[in-house]
Amino acid sequence: MLVPIGITIGYSFTNKNPFNPPTKWVGLDNLTSLASDDEFLTALGNTVLITVIVTVVTNAGGLAIAMLLDRRGWLYNALRSVFFVPVVLSAVVVSVIWQAILVDDGLLNSMLGKLGMSDPPGWLSDPSLALYTVSWVIAWQGLGFCVVIYLAGLQGIPQELHEAAAIDGCGPMMRFRHVTWPMLAPAVTINTVMSLIGGFKAYDQVQVLTNGGPGPGTTSTLAFQVIQTAFNGNHVGYASAMAVAMLALVAAVSVIALGLLQKREVSS
Amino acid sequence: MKKPKAWLRPVAALLAGFLFFLPIYLVLVNVFKDGSAIVSNPVGLPIPPTLDNIQGVLSRPDHLFWYGLVNSTEVTVISILIVTAISAMLGHYLARSTGVMAKVAMVTLLCGLMVPPAVILSPITEVLRALGLMSTVPGLILAYVGYYMPFGVFVFAGFVKTIPREVEEAAAIDGAGAFRAFWQVVFPLMRPASASVLIFLGVWIWNDFLNPLIILGPATGTTVTVGIYRAIGEHQADFGSVFALMFLATLPILVFYLAFQKQFVKGLTGGATKG
Repeated sequence: MLVPIGITIGYSFTNKNPFNPPTKWVGLDNLTSLASDDEFLTALGNTVLITVIVTVVTNAGGLAIAMLLDRRGWLYNALRSVFFVPVVLSAVVVSVIWQAILVDDGLLNSMLGKLGMSDPPGWLSDPSLALYTVSWVIAWQGLGFCVVIYLAGLQGIPQELHEAAAIDGCGPMMRFRHVTWPMLAPAVTINTVMSLIGGFKAYDQVQVLTNGGPGPGTTSTLAFQVIQTAFNGNHVGYASAMAVAMLALVAAVSVIALGLLQKREVSS
Repeated sequence: MKKPKAWLRPVAALLAGFLFFLPIYLVLVNVFKDGSAIVSNPVGLPIPPTLDNIQGVLSRPDHLFWYGLVNSTEVTVISILIVTAISAMLGHYLARSTGVMAKVAMVTLLCGLMVPPAVILSPITEVLRALGLMSTVPGLILAYVGYYMPFGVFVFAGFVKTIPREVEEAAAIDGAGAFRAFWQVVFPLMRPASASVLIFLGVWIWNDFLNPLIILGPATGTTVTVGIYRAIGEHQADFGSVFALMFLATLPILVFYLAFQKQFVKGLTGGATKG
């Protein structure tokens, strides 16, 4: 586990390319050229945007659905399973399903066409739309995870707290604000961190849905860019520098998020 | 005051569930329709149902599905058994020992939990190539064992703390060696942890795409996920057979999930509610 990371960090200082030997030590050149590499910067921006969208959608949607399903009975149990199904599906399968729905002559647009829409959007072929479509697909798959975690959190809140707050004159909004939300802090932490990490390593969906396109790199992510550079471009050294940057970013964001969210847990 | 709106919650829940499930419904109904019916009426129920798509996938001349199934099963089963066995021992050892080295090893492993696969894939291929294991199934298994070891250790080390030390001391007094005490006394007590590790890794490894795509390569064949990816390149608009392939590839993992659903959710929420 540690050895590959060590090798990656080592390579990040070289111009290694298996089809263009010899490998030379280039010091920090890779890192400095990353800073002015448009493809890398686009991928970085895309990754951040996907991560933010996925984190917000899965947490907000997951919490809303969890509160809706927070009742006993077969209906709610069955629906909980329904929401969780995409989590156990492969990202490839999920992407192929959505691709069939969202391609230009796909199921969604043919339905929109029947409803009389003459020029339906190119969900995956419009460069200004494709990134949001990819984010949506990732969020759809991750939603069930958040639902299950929030449900467990909600069911862990003692009923007495709600009753006490109601007696003290709190309406539903106030009860949510002062009882539910603080008590859910650990669930929020776990869901946010998992969504952040999941968003940062987005690869499968990009490869299947858009292959980084439409156009040059409009939906390319960091993971996608690293793999493309290393295995299609064979610039192993340069890709390693990217990978190191990505690793540092994931580590920094996770640690910061974890720190901030856990502080909230303690104080509440 | 709540009474008049009592019907609202089940209706809203059903509606949300229905909208959410729509994409999966589309796959399920279209697996059993022929090509023209998919195009003319994608949403309707398959009446009369046809098994042509499924038969077509099962009897493909290149055996794409069968090779994928064999590879996926082999890789998943062997990987999860090895990871469970080694990480149980390692997790137990690291959680029980108090030395500085053990602490360092533990922290290092935990850092490994958040490394994205893309970051280390390139060096992994070089290590595998040096070992002569690139483009082989054992190579892929080795990569998984390394990659998922931190998760296994994390789960087992957390669980070991709930097992009283006296149990092991008693076993030692009864004359069991360290190895025997672990496998016959401690390991059976860690069944919930083993279940979590087996179930999660089973799903993750079965569904993985990037590692088999790169490590196995086109020469050695595919796993089911890579098979699906290859298949969409071939028959672009033939949704029927792509859906049938996905349906068959997902069936094992779905059955697995439904069978262990309770434990899956328990393992997931265990950490979340304890905080």
